[in-house]
Amino acid sequence: MNSLVLLNGSPRGERSNSMKMLSRVAEGWQRGGGPEPEVLHLAHRAGFDRAVQAFAEADTLLLGMPLYTDSMPALVKSYIEALQPRTAAADGANPALGFLVQSGFPEASHSRPLERYLQKLAGRLGSRYVGTIVRGGGESLQMVPDRANQKLWARLRTLGEQLYREGSFGAEELRAVAGVERMPALTLALARLAVHLPIVNFYWNGVLKKNGAWQRRFAAPYAGSGQT
Amino acid sequence: MRIAILNGEPDPSSAFQMYLHDFARRLASAGHAVSTLDLRKLNLKGCSGCWGCWVKTPGECVKRDDSATICRSAINSDLLLLASPLTMGFTTALLKRAADQMIPLVHPYFVVDGGEIHHRARYAKYPKLGLLLGAGGDSDAEDREITTEMWRRMARNLKSQLVFAAVSDRTAQEVADEFARVA
Repeated sequence: MNSLVLLNGSPRGERSNSMKMLSRVAEGWQRGGGPEPEVLHLAHRAGFDRAVQAFAEADTLLLGMPLYTDSMPALVKSYIEALQPRTAAADGANPALGFLVQSGFPEASHSRPLERYLQKLAGRLGSRYVGTIVRGGGESLQMVPDRANQKLWARLRTLGEQLYREGSFGAEELRAVAGVERMPALTLALARLAVHLPIVNFYWNGVLKKNGAWQRRFAAPYAGSGQT
Repeated sequence: MRIAILNGEPDPSSAFQMYLHDFARRLASAGHAVSTLDLRKLNLKGCSGCWGCWVKTPGECVKRDDSATICRSAINSDLLLLASPLTMGFTTALLKRAADQMIPLVHPYFVVDGGEIHHRARYAKYPKLGLLLGAGGDSDAEDREITTEMWRRMARNLKSQLVFAAVSDRTAQEVADEFARVA
C-alpha cells in the first residue's frame, strides 16, 4: 500500500494556511482511494522528530510551508538539515517527494526560486519528485468566508487525487492552482493607484486599531541612535 | 562604511569560520567599520508568523530575544553582509532564523515595486546587502545560483539590493578586492 505523510512546515502549526491547504490535498488523495495519511507538524518537537523518522519509512511525503522572506522558514531548513544523513541512502530508499509553497503575495513569481531549490533537493535525496504546488494570496484564506475558497479547495483535492492515481501532480492543474504568475501591466497600474485607497490596507488597519497600535503603525524604533 | 556581518556558521572551528574572520579583518584594514554578530551565540526564538511586529508592537518583535540586536545592527549599517556555509544546498537554518526575524524592519502595507506587490518601507534608509557563501560540502554552482537568487529577492523585500555575492573558493584578499570594486 502506498503510504502518504503530510508534513506541515508552518511555524504556526495546526492553525496555519499551509495546513488548511494540505488537508484538501489529503482529502483528494483519500477520495482517489489512498489510505489515510499521517499528519505531522514540524512546529512541535515531537512532530519534528517523528518527521525525521517518517522520512525513512513513507512511500510518499508532501512537505508544505509558507514563504518566509523569499525562501523556506528556518524551521523547514532545520528539518532539511536533519535529513542530511539520508543523502547517502541507497537508490530508491527515500520516499517520493512533493511540496506545497504558499505565500501572502498575490503572484506566484515570488515562490519560484524556492520551487527550484525544492526540486533540486528531491534530486539530492535521490527521491522521485512529484511536483510543487505553488499558490499566492495565502493569507486571504483567513480573511474571507470559507465559501470563497471553494474553487481552490476543489483544485487541491484534484491534485491529491492525481498524486494517488498517477503518482505525481498534473502540470496543468499545478498551473491553474498557482493563479496569476505576474500581474499584467494594466492590473499593476491600477494596483499602483489602489494601494493609496483605504480598502487595500483595510485588514491591517483593522487589527492595528483593535490592538491600540494604529497611532504607532509607522514606528521606526531602531533608526538613528538605535535607542528605542 | 559601516559593515554589519551576520555570521550563520554554527561551527566555531570550521574552515569557513576562519575564512570569515580573515575576510572581516581585511575589510577593517581597508578602512571599514566592521562588526560581526555570531548568530550561534545569540538567543533567537525564531519567527512564528504571529505578525505582532506589524500589528501589536509596530517595528519590534513581540518575543524577548536577541533579534532586536540584529534589527538595530542591520538598520544602522551601510552594508549588511550575510555569511554562511551551504548545507543541503542552501545557507544555514541559523542564518534563516535571523532573516525571518527581520520582518519588523518593513511595514505591512502593500506597494507596487519592480512589477510585483511588496511591502512598504518602515525606515527611510536600508543597508545594501552582500552575500558570502562557503565553498565545500556537497554544494555545486547551481546551488550557489539558486541560493543567491533567493537572497536577491529577500534583499528587494528588505527595500534594498544585493550588491555583492561571493564564494569562499578564492583567497580572502581576492574576495576583499572584489568587494572594494563593487560594494
